[in-house]
Amino acid sequence: MNGLKTIVRLSLRDYSHERLLSACAIMGLAAVLAPLLVLFGVKNGIIHTMADRLIKDPRNLEISPIGSGRFSREWISQQAALSEVAFIIPQTRSIAASMILGYQKAGKKRTLAVDLIPTAKGDPLLEKWGRVPAENGEITLSASAARKLNVTAGEIIIGRVGRTKGGKKEQVTINLTVVSILPFEAFLRDAAFVRLPLLEATEDYRDGFGSITFSWPGNSQEPRNRSYPSFRLYARTIYEVAIVRDGLLNQGIEVYTKADEIEVVQNLDRSFTIIFKLISIVAVVGYFASMASNILANVNRKSRHLGVTSLIGFSTKNIIWFPIVQSIATSTIGTALAVGLYFISQVIINHLFGQYLTKSEYVCRLSSVHLMIAFLLTLSLSIVASGYAAFRVTRIEPSKVIRDV
Amino acid sequence: MPVTHSSSVDPRVDTHSKTDYGSGAEPVFELLEVSKHWQGEHGFVLKVPQLIILRGEKVALVGYSGCGKSTLLDTLAMVLRPDKVHRFKFYADQQKSLDVADAWKHKHMDILAKTRMRFVGYVLQTGGLLPFISVYDNIALSRYGLGLPEKKAVVALAAKLGIERHLKKLPGQLSVGERQRVAIARAMAHSPSVVIADEPTASLDPINAEEIMGLFTQIADENGVTLIVATHEWERVKTLGFRRLKFNLDQQETDGTVQATVLG
Repeated sequence: MNGLKTIVRLSLRDYSHERLLSACAIMGLAAVLAPLLVLFGVKNGIIHTMADRLIKDPRNLEISPIGSGRFSREWISQQAALSEVAFIIPQTRSIAASMILGYQKAGKKRTLAVDLIPTAKGDPLLEKWGRVPAENGEITLSASAARKLNVTAGEIIIGRVGRTKGGKKEQVTINLTVVSILPFEAFLRDAAFVRLPLLEATEDYRDGFGSITFSWPGNSQEPRNRSYPSFRLYARTIYEVAIVRDGLLNQGIEVYTKADEIEVVQNLDRSFTIIFKLISIVAVVGYFASMASNILANVNRKSRHLGVTSLIGFSTKNIIWFPIVQSIATSTIGTALAVGLYFISQVIINHLFGQYLTKSEYVCRLSSVHLMIAFLLTLSLSIVASGYAAFRVTRIEPSKVIRDV
Repeated sequence: MPVTHSSSVDPRVDTHSKTDYGSGAEPVFELLEVSKHWQGEHGFVLKVPQLIILRGEKVALVGYSGCGKSTLLDTLAMVLRPDKVHRFKFYADQQKSLDVADAWKHKHMDILAKTRMRFVGYVLQTGGLLPFISVYDNIALSRYGLGLPEKKAVVALAAKLGIERHLKKLPGQLSVGERQRVAIARAMAHSPSVVIADEPTASLDPINAEEIMGLFTQIADENGVTLIVATHEWERVKTLGFRRLKFNLDQQETDGTVQATVLG
């Protein structure tokens, strides 16, 4: 134990005595490792941010049918029960799913025709960006609709639905409380998100029926098995979009998804990974060769001193630690320096791209686990690189080297 | 002087029993029929028919350079493995003895290293100090390796050798003579049984050489250390109480191999 302790001390003393050479070795390592870390950080940051946007963005989870079909309530609830489906709600006929909204502020009256879009608890789009109407008299507006009406959340607007019945124009109105307004990126068109009963009542009213719920006049209707021409569907994750899409296609339902965009990012990730691996391999081979030759050259230069320690009586199994300890020192300090350089680059890169990013997004980032892995890899590589030098130490014959001047 | 033995050895003799060398004298080294062959231009063979070195003795290996002095010293220091060994015993102290021949044979290099660290000191012609540690640490190396406290021993030896003001310096800041003093202190610091020195004063001016050799033998005498010194200047050590070992050189007619035989 004392022998090993002494050799470790000697090795570190030599390392600091030869500080110029040691500094070169450290900087050589940092020069290879720092760009790799930055590269990996950017790859990780961009892919992570893009994937995060993909995963978190409900728009990418949306699956919308092309054209119209006939979907029963039963069919809708069957889909809702699928584990890949996060949310599904039937949509009434698009021609009937509209309403004129009116709002008067400071004596100035504005009106706007909007599309009515069904929503309910669990709607990913509204849960991310706004609030889901809890009552039939509540409404969430798209940004453009709110801007055109000059209305803000919490205010009450008037909804108007008209029909022609028996050659006579009729209309009903309803007071609607604006519970939230979606941002522009959430929904582009002029639209209002309301609960399904209001949509159904609107459709019925246009068909000439009345509504008990909303006290709208009209023909009374038999309870009927309503069928819907369309629906809004969200998959649970982006990875399940393709599954749901294929399931619908198998039932003959043509759908539109963002699966292609998702695939682009996944391909990008794969390509990035391959490029990164190639660069890493080249860098690692180069670093390994230079490290190994450095250590070996040092052992050769130090063979007389190592021979002297052997002559004094330190055993070979202790002396082999001489080059290994120096390798460990180089990889530790070199990695620390590289990580320092990396962090400086990370701050600069993220600052440069800051305007395109939200608070929780990064262009360049590495977790502490990544940095730990980088350190451990460097360390083991250095130890392997010092392996041959250590072997050469075991071959040093004191009687051959101690008299060299 | 040791009792001379017949050079023919009966292989049935128990080689592990201690031989009586008379008047309470004990051996430190016992070598019988040891030889080392070097390949080279002509080839070189060192032959040691018999060599017995007693505890507390001062032995001078005298001969020209290339006569095999260093080979013999390295063999005694157990860092050079001879090709042929009939018997090679090292009596480290009164209690401990080591069959060096056996350790070589079984490649017990750690035992040899351990024995060397504890019981042997070695002084090289040009210091052989480690340039990256202080004089103090250089002197203390064996004691560090053995886990012994070093301060008292280092300071006492440095004072005796007149180098106490250099303890914090690196060897590179010292003159050649001062470095040899440090080398002697290092060889002595762990109170070894044997100190081996290879031309310890050959690179010094005569005045310095005389003084350092005198100090060296004085310290060895005071501590009862067995001293084995290789030198080409018998005159320098003659008066210091050394026994002289000679090297007899022969060149063989057949292949030109030089054979050096150690004569006790």
